[in-house]
Amino acid sequence: MSTVSKPAPKASFGERLKKQKYLQMMVWPGIIWMFIFNYIPMSGIIIAFKDYKITGTMWGAPWAGLSHFKEFLTDPSFMNIMQNTLGISLLKLCIAFPLPILFALLVNEVRSARYKKSIQTISYLPHFISWVVLGGLLITWLSDTGMINEVLVMTGILKEPIAFLADPKYFWWVAVISDTWKELGWSAIIYIAAISGIDQQMYEAAAIDGATKMQKIWHITLPAIKGTIAVMFILAVAGMLNSNFDQIFILNNVLNAEASEVIDTYVYKMGMRSGRYSYATAIGLFKSVVAMILLVIANFITKKLQGRSLF
Amino acid sequence: MKRTKGEIWFDRFNNVLMFVICFITLYPIWYIIVNSFNDGNDAMLGGIFWWPRVFSTENYEAVFQNEGLMKAFGITIARTFVGTVTNVFFTAMVAYPLSKSHLIGRKWFLGMGTVTMFFSGGLIPSFLLYKNLGLLDTFWVYILPALFNFFNLIIFVNFFKEIPASLEESAAIDGANDWTIFLKIILPLSRPVLATIALFTGVYHWNDYFAGVIFINNPDLQPVQTFLYRIVAESGSNQMMAAATNVTQTTTSASIKLATMVITTIPILCVYPFLQKYFEKGIMIGAVKE
Amino acid sequence: MKNKIFLAMLASISVFAVGCGSSNTTKELAAPSTEVSKDIPGWTVNNDPTDLSWYVNFSWFTTPWGNDIVSQKITEETGVNVNFIIPAGNEAEKLNTMIASDTLPDLLTLGWWEGQIPEMIDAGMIYALDELAELYDPYFFEVADEARLGWYTSQDGHVYQYPNSSYSPEDYEKYDNIASNQTFLVRKDMYEALGSPDMSTPEGFIDTLRKAKEMFPTVNNQPLIPLGLHEFNDAGNVSLDLFLQNFLAIPFEDEDGNLYDRMTDPEYVAWLKMFREATAEGLLANDVFIDARSQMEEKQAQGRYFAMLYQRTDMATQQQILFNNDPDSIYVAIDGPKNSSGDDHTLPGVGIQGWTVTLISKNCDDPERAIQFMSYFMSEHGQRMIKVGVEGEMYEMVNGQPVLHKEVQELLDSDRAAYDRKYGAEDTFWMMQDLPMQQQWTEASKEPFLQLEEWAAQYTIFNSQYDGLNPALGSAEEVIALKVSTLWGNTLPALLLAKDEAEFDAIFEKYVNDRDALGYDKLLAVQQELLEENKEKLGFK
Repeated sequence: MSTVSKPAPKASFGERLKKQKYLQMMVWPGIIWMFIFNYIPMSGIIIAFKDYKITGTMWGAPWAGLSHFKEFLTDPSFMNIMQNTLGISLLKLCIAFPLPILFALLVNEVRSARYKKSIQTISYLPHFISWVVLGGLLITWLSDTGMINEVLVMTGILKEPIAFLADPKYFWWVAVISDTWKELGWSAIIYIAAISGIDQQMYEAAAIDGATKMQKIWHITLPAIKGTIAVMFILAVAGMLNSNFDQIFILNNVLNAEASEVIDTYVYKMGMRSGRYSYATAIGLFKSVVAMILLVIANFITKKLQGRSLF
Repeated sequence: MKRTKGEIWFDRFNNVLMFVICFITLYPIWYIIVNSFNDGNDAMLGGIFWWPRVFSTENYEAVFQNEGLMKAFGITIARTFVGTVTNVFFTAMVAYPLSKSHLIGRKWFLGMGTVTMFFSGGLIPSFLLYKNLGLLDTFWVYILPALFNFFNLIIFVNFFKEIPASLEESAAIDGANDWTIFLKIILPLSRPVLATIALFTGVYHWNDYFAGVIFINNPDLQPVQTFLYRIVAESGSNQMMAAATNVTQTTTSASIKLATMVITTIPILCVYPFLQKYFEKGIMIGAVKE
Repeated sequence: MKNKIFLAMLASISVFAVGCGSSNTTKELAAPSTEVSKDIPGWTVNNDPTDLSWYVNFSWFTTPWGNDIVSQKITEETGVNVNFIIPAGNEAEKLNTMIASDTLPDLLTLGWWEGQIPEMIDAGMIYALDELAELYDPYFFEVADEARLGWYTSQDGHVYQYPNSSYSPEDYEKYDNIASNQTFLVRKDMYEALGSPDMSTPEGFIDTLRKAKEMFPTVNNQPLIPLGLHEFNDAGNVSLDLFLQNFLAIPFEDEDGNLYDRMTDPEYVAWLKMFREATAEGLLANDVFIDARSQMEEKQAQGRYFAMLYQRTDMATQQQILFNNDPDSIYVAIDGPKNSSGDDHTLPGVGIQGWTVTLISKNCDDPERAIQFMSYFMSEHGQRMIKVGVEGEMYEMVNGQPVLHKEVQELLDSDRAAYDRKYGAEDTFWMMQDLPMQQQWTEASKEPFLQLEEWAAQYTIFNSQYDGLNPALGSAEEVIALKVSTLWGNTLPALLLAKDEAEFDAIFEKYVNDRDALGYDKLLAVQQELLEENKEKLGFK
């Protein structure tokens, strides 16, 4: 029996199924699990089209049609919220997405094995600090008398201290840079793992051919982790409407509000805080639909560009 | 092998750059440790950057004095271990067939899974489901809903695709079926990705406090994160509270929060070096040579 | 084809999963297990061991039941062992989930203002306390306060909730030490160095801030913050709207009993204009707009603010730190912003609503024991237990006054958390605390808190009738209320940051117009109705 080589196209459906019965038996528990734990609760989405109250049932609630969607899309702050959400996400895609890849490549080039291990361990530590604590520190450090201004003025990068959180024009950068700083090492883990799967013989062969370090990275390492990069990129694009709620929530204030209100904080304010589950669900559904569309587009583009895709 | 001048300079530059990155990522941790070993009231005055001003272990004592902490650690360790092992094995098992392009229904399965990454019904339907399944207030509410993860599945599928088909073919010729191939060939070859997913899942289980808050009422079943969250919980911005009490409520100091964070992070630190050996090179190459 | 099967399956299973939400079956109450009478407290006859689960909607409440002397004694006397259920994270999330899935525990304690209370009552999820008391424990009516029952009587004539920390209008006449939380505070040493100037007029206020900044540019090498406030949030800033209006004694209603628009009162607007000027001059520092509470607390402990419009109980810890370092650097309360006729401040104290209310859910299998347990707490015996503890073990009566044992007093003064876990009195279990009744056993405050309390007491008034004028959850007016408050939350900082008075006026006019466009008059009409109801309950008509 040969399950691995491609079966002849003429084989009947039943025959093919029989040949891969073990594979099917392995995949079905996952399908059943998804059905129970994802798809059954998903029926709760129905309340996006209803006026649900927590003391009633989801099925018994009166229909509201598309009124919740209309309310969100015609909200005077809608444009501003979308702009901030997408702006921060795009910046992240340009900065927070490639840097972990670069970091993984550079860590890989460190010659001392012990140093390399220490770097990996240290770099992923900030991932474990909660934003509540880190946000508190950042508010103090970013103030006009804070540590960061002191350092920047001392080194001559800035002439005058800047109250970074008091001005909307810095907020996106603060959000992106602090997020990158916190998650750099953690995001790199997946690339480090991918790099460690590369066949060493390829490097040795390249070295014999006299390849330089850059050539090795360019022609061996990068192509080998291309698949991982593509998958992460597609997912990052699909998640463009998501924000780091904990981070934004703690760093925003009335002075930077026009740059810091994103969909997630808006949902929290207008939905969860006052128990408007239907409204919050409608916005969530809107986000999901947009995310799916983005996913399909990103998947298509990566497929065209490098023949890699999610499916 | 001789290194060129450019390479030597590159190495120097790289070492320094790595040092800088380590420093700026390590400093906030250091800051937290230092402040957690400082007297709480004194720490409120701020300005502690490098070393405790009024050294004190009171914050740690306050956390460890709590009776249920050890029990909570037990629950966390149990759920992290059971949850990680089951999730990694189950997800890998489902992922393996999906890495085969000739699998019947493959597109359907992947499409169905992709939808779950974006659409969810929210908390209340899940709660009702768990209630009807009898999972509320049981240990299994930590394990079953976290048994499978589609994001991890994608990573698995991508990794499995890279494994040379020749290995599986030779096993198939020896008469092994797909299940045996998965157990005997694929899993041992996948150690880097298994370690990565185990790390992701383990960290999730270790850090999750939400399940313990919403689905568990029995204090004996609380994981450590829920338990500690409770110790450091603050009144927040609830101004109505203060408005009505003549007695000042005991608000826990920020230092205790920091101590809590240190206590919960240290065990994770010990796990990573242990996993690191699976990230080392040459595993695949050794297997191919056999 | 596949699609259809899939959808059908999805639909059928969804019904199974989500269909069994709340069930509002009306339960028949069982006959009482013992003979009842209003003279015999139910808990004295009925004290077999039993368990009650008790949800407390405050994540910071962390004291377990049964570790300390007081809760052990209560379990011994009543037979009731309590399992507290405390949300560790977001309170609303936990509560809403329990309501939606019909998994409420036996007893519930939550803030009186929570919108879920009327919803639960309307949905028939809560027992009427008066019905339970009638049937199982008439003694309840002996220990319940008439005014509180009256306030919390629903339109159907039943009482579903009972408050703690509640003060009636009569209490305000009886006790002269009821003190509001809202205070205007200045740093004692700086204020005295400036010659204790008058800060009750806009001119005097801004002038004093200027002089303070000039005379004390820095505190511990950090810039002085001339004026501190509560945090800005989506609804504005309580210091600059609610508190300021109370300080200016702006009325809530006009002579005809109609709700008065406090936001557009000329006196108030004049003061806001002064604050705009102060912002332009840098007297309202960036910090005031940016800081979250923990940064404010840090700065208070350092004495970085010259003046503050702040709740005194919210800065008690910091006040103590300042007092320990230097008794002259503490904050003292002085007369703050007054209206042009110089009227006294009208600062609200705790009213008839109290702080939290306690309810018995219909999921409770043993409502008989639950109502008896509540009566226990409400009685003088129960209040003495939660306030001073167990006689002989924790205190002795000397000349009719409780005197704490030395080790008890010492622990109370030094480590409140440890005291809670070991002894558990002094309202550790505050859910049913009756502050007016506990006055007889309460010691007077000490410095550095006494001055703040005494200052506030002289301006404290009862105005519960204006509290909780909130439209029903989920109603159209509730959405309007939310949007109006968000509008103000956006407007207030814009007003303060306006370049000049012309811009201020334009923003303010836009606010008034936008507010009207949102349907403010509809909201006002509902609020007016609620006010009439409140007044009727209090007998103010």
